[in-house]
Amino acid sequence: MADEGEPQQTTNTVEEPLDLIRLSLDERIYVKMRNDRELRGRLHAYDQHLNMILGAVEETVTTVEIDEETYEELYKSTKRNIPMLFVRGDGVVLVAPPLRVG
Amino acid sequence: MDQSDGLAYDQAEAANSMRERTIVENSLVVLLQGLHGQVTTVDLRDESTARGRVVNVDAYMNVRLADVLFRDRRGRVSRLEDLFITGRNVRYVHIPDNLDITDTIEKQLGKISRMRNYAGDRGSKKKKTNK
Repeated sequence: MADEGEPQQTTNTVEEPLDLIRLSLDERIYVKMRNDRELRGRLHAYDQHLNMILGAVEETVTTVEIDEETYEELYKSTKRNIPMLFVRGDGVVLVAPPLRVG
Repeated sequence: MDQSDGLAYDQAEAANSMRERTIVENSLVVLLQGLHGQVTTVDLRDESTARGRVVNVDAYMNVRLADVLFRDRRGRVSRLEDLFITGRNVRYVHIPDNLDITDTIEKQLGKISRMRNYAGDRGSKKKKTNK
């Protein structure tokens, strides 16, 4: 987070949950959002509302279709890539290091 | 009574009230304010998208766009001259690839602090011009 003119206190200790996010600055992270969305990208900036700026982002939207006859659940996901994205914090559910698949 | 401002700034730029200024200085909305005049895409909460030139963003993330291509959630496209989006309805704002984030934030914070100084001098007899 950039600050100008005021002395900035950046401690290296983890004091509150938001500090854990600070540790992920400039790293790739996984963000779970509301409405079955997930983001994977590089965390450039964040604030106390969890508004975030992510670079090289891949957004995954997951939908469930139900087969009317067999009642089978078919999970579909749509992905798209965005070079730089500002995310409004109220949509964020959780922030984590990227999940390793397999 | 001289109503004109000595400071040349976009009337849409820095926030007007103390409260708004404080909110902006302490959150990432300051970056969105740095996008004034640029063309970006705003993804709304209801899956519709609006692509247009950023006229103003306030402390609550309310966005005003001009010359907008609006795609509703069904995919129907319409052209709008002026669009106001409530902050709550914003999901994403696409940031132009070539934007330097730190630089934009620092410049925007600089503008806001200069506004603060100017506003503080309003009561005095001499009209100072800040950069």
